[in-house]
Amino acid sequence: MLGGAFSAPTLQAMDAWEQRNHHSGKSSGAEFSKAQEQIIAEVAEIIIPRTDTPGAADAGVPVFIVMMLKDCYRKPEHESFASGLQDLEKSQFLSLNKQQKETAIRDLEARTVELMKEYQVQQTKMGDNEDREQMKEVAKGLPFWRLMKELTLLGYFTSEAGIKGSFEYVPIPGKLELIKLKPGQRAYAY
Amino acid sequence: MNLNLQVNKTHTFDAIVVGSGMTGGMAAKELTERGLKVLMIERGREIKHIEDYETAMKAPWDFEHRGKVSIHSAEEYWANNRFGSLANEETSPFFTDDKKNPYIEKRPFDWIRAYHTGGKSMHWGRQSYRMCREDFEANAKEGIAVDWPIRYDDLEPWYTHVEKFVGISGQKEGWDVLPDGHFLPPMAMYAPERHFRDQMKKSLNRPVTIGRIANLTQPQSWHTELGRAACQYRSKCARGCPYGGYYSSIAGSIPAARKTDRLTVLHDTIATEILYDEKTQKAKGVRVINQHTMAVEEFFSKIVFLNAGSMNTAGLMLNSVSNRFQNGFGNDSDQVGRNIMDHHLGVGANATVEGFNDDYIFGQRPTALYIPRFRNWKSDKQDFLRGYGYQGGASRADWKRGIGQDGFGASFKEDLTRPGNWNIGFGGFGEVLPNPENRMFLDKEKKDKWGVPMIVFDAAFGENEIAMRKDMMRSAMEMLEAAGFKNITGNNRQDTHLGLGIHDMGTARMGKDPKTSVLNKYNQVHAAKNVFVTDGAAMVSSGCVNPSITYMAMTARAADHAVKELNRKNL
Repeated sequence: MLGGAFSAPTLQAMDAWEQRNHHSGKSSGAEFSKAQEQIIAEVAEIIIPRTDTPGAADAGVPVFIVMMLKDCYRKPEHESFASGLQDLEKSQFLSLNKQQKETAIRDLEARTVELMKEYQVQQTKMGDNEDREQMKEVAKGLPFWRLMKELTLLGYFTSEAGIKGSFEYVPIPGKLELIKLKPGQRAYAY
Repeated sequence: MNLNLQVNKTHTFDAIVVGSGMTGGMAAKELTERGLKVLMIERGREIKHIEDYETAMKAPWDFEHRGKVSIHSAEEYWANNRFGSLANEETSPFFTDDKKNPYIEKRPFDWIRAYHTGGKSMHWGRQSYRMCREDFEANAKEGIAVDWPIRYDDLEPWYTHVEKFVGISGQKEGWDVLPDGHFLPPMAMYAPERHFRDQMKKSLNRPVTIGRIANLTQPQSWHTELGRAACQYRSKCARGCPYGGYYSSIAGSIPAARKTDRLTVLHDTIATEILYDEKTQKAKGVRVINQHTMAVEEFFSKIVFLNAGSMNTAGLMLNSVSNRFQNGFGNDSDQVGRNIMDHHLGVGANATVEGFNDDYIFGQRPTALYIPRFRNWKSDKQDFLRGYGYQGGASRADWKRGIGQDGFGASFKEDLTRPGNWNIGFGGFGEVLPNPENRMFLDKEKKDKWGVPMIVFDAAFGENEIAMRKDMMRSAMEMLEAAGFKNITGNNRQDTHLGLGIHDMGTARMGKDPKTSVLNKYNQVHAAKNVFVTDGAAMVSSGCVNPSITYMAMTARAADHAVKELNRKNL
C-alpha cells in the first residue's frame, strides 16, 4: 500500500518524521503507523496546500500535529483522533484520487459540524482583552476533523514559513496607529 | 563575642522589607529615598532586568507548543492552569511551579504566585484605577465587616505620587466613580469602540473610557533616568519588557532604590518568622531560611515591612508565635488570615460587529476599554450589594477564526491571511464582600520542605457574588445589544474560584479597633507599631477596580509615616 506516488509535500513530511523519531524518546498513547502518518500529512496538506506560498508540509505541520497530540492532549483525544484515522483507512483514503479525497474530507467536515454541536464552543473575552475558547466539557474527545483542523492551522500559522508567507510580520511595531485597510492587504502578525 | 557583634553588624539594617513585588519594591524605594538602609528579602530566584527575560524576544515559532500548555506543564502549574493557561510557554518563567510549592485546599482556591524578583509585578494586568470615595465608606454605611480607618482624601496625594512614578496612560474623565489620576497620554480607541462608547452614552448612560494602564505612552525624565523607554506596542508584557515599557518592580522601584546605594537584596531567602522583642514590645527582625542551602539566619532592623503577597504575609504572621502572640504575630483580633477577598471574573458577553471593514490597526494595544461601576451607584439599586466594572473591547478576528469555520484548501488558506470581521466582548471584575469565614490558616502537622507549616485555604464565593454574576452577564449582553451588535452570547463560568483574579487580599485588615482589626490607619500592626503591612492583606473591602495602584499608594504613605515616626523616636 505504501510506495505509491506521494506528493512532494508528503514525502517531505515523511522525511521530517524520520528525523524526529531518531532523537525523540517521547511516547504516550498517540502512536501511529506509517500509513496513518501519511494520512495525517495528506489531510493537513488538503487543509493548507502549497500554493504560491508554503503549504502545511513545508511548514512542518504533520510532525507538529503528532508532537502536539502526544504532549498536549490526553486519552479521550488520542482515542477520537485514532478512530478518525481508522475510518479514513477503512475508506481506502490514500488510494483515492485528489478529487475523491477532497470529497471525503468535505463529508467528514459536514459530519463533524453535527458532532461539535454538543461542545457548544464559545469565545470568551477575559480581562485585559484576552480571548479564550470555552467549550462545554464532554466525556468524549474532540472529533478527529476538529483536531486536525485546529492543529494544522495552529502549526501552520505560527510557523516561520506560515507567518512570513501569510502575513506582514511585525515583531516590534513601535507605535499604535489606526489605519485604513488597503484592498487585498494581509493581516499583521506580531 | 566579637564574632557575634560582627554578625549583628552585617545583619542589621534600618528596615527589612519582606518581598520584592509590587509593594515590596515601592516600600524599598520610598524608605531608601528617605535615607534608610534597607534589606529586601525575596523568597524566589533572582531575575535581572532584560537579560533574564528569556522569552521576551522569541518569535511565535520558537515556542515548541505555540502557546498551548503541555500536559506536563499543566501538572506542574496545576493551580495556574486549572482555569485557563496563565502559565504557558511564554509566561511560565514569571509564575510559580505549584507542584514544588504545594498548598492545601479545604475548599478550592486558585493561588497564583510569582516567586522571583519583582513578584507578580512581572506578569500583572497593569490596569490601574483609583478606588473612589464610596469604596472607603461603603462598609460603614452598609454595616459590612469594619470601617476603613482611612478615606479617599488620605490616599489621594499618594495615588498621585505613585502614578507619576509608575507612569499610567489614561484619559481624564471627571467621573466620581473612577477618580482621575496623573496620566500620560491615553491609547487610542478603535472605530467600533468609539461607536460603542457613543451608543452607551446615548442609550444606557453608561460611561466608557480607554483602559488606564501602566505602560509608558510618553516616558518622562524620571522614567528614562531609570532606563525605561516607551511602550513598543508588542503587547507581550507578561514575558517581561526589555524596553521597560510597562511598570514592574524590576524596571521601576528596585532600580530607584538601588540608586540610593542603601538597598541590599537577598534572593532565595524565605522569611519564616518575625522576631518579637518582649522588652520593647516591638519586632526586632526576621528569621529566614535559604531555600537551597537550608541555612537559617536572623536579620535585625528598626522597622519591618511585610510585602510578601497577602496570603504569604498572613502566613508569615501566623507562623510568628511568641509568648505575647500565641495566636500569631499581631493577631489579638483573630482576623489574620480571614476575610479573603479577590475580584470575581470569567463572566461577560461577546458579539460580532458588522461594518468597519476598512478600519484596521498597526501595532498591538496592551490595554482595552474600561466601563466603571454603574450598579448600586447613585439612583441604581440592585438585589446585591456593591458593583463591578467591565474590561474588554473590539478586535479583528485573526487566522484562528478558521478553526471553527467550514472549509479548507487554497482559497480558505488565502482568506485567513486577511484580517477577519470585528468582534467585541467584555468581562466583568466584581467586588467580593469580606467574610471572616473565607480564610486561610496554617496546617497543624503538614510542613513544606523548609519546615514551614503549609497554608490551608477554606474560602468560596458567597450569595452576593453569585447574584452579582448573573447581572454581570445580563448587563453585558444588554450593552452589546444597545450598541446594535449581533450574535450576542453571554457567559458565566462556574469553574472559577477565589484567587483567580490574582487580587487576593484582606488577610490582615486595617481598622479603627484593635479588637476587630490587625492594622491601624498607617498600616502598622496595632500591637507592634514598627511592623507595617502594606500589601493587599491590609484591604478592608475590595472595591471592584484593579488594586495594585492602591496597594502602592498605601505603601508609599506608610513608608512616609514610618520614617517620620522613626525621626520622632516613636519607633
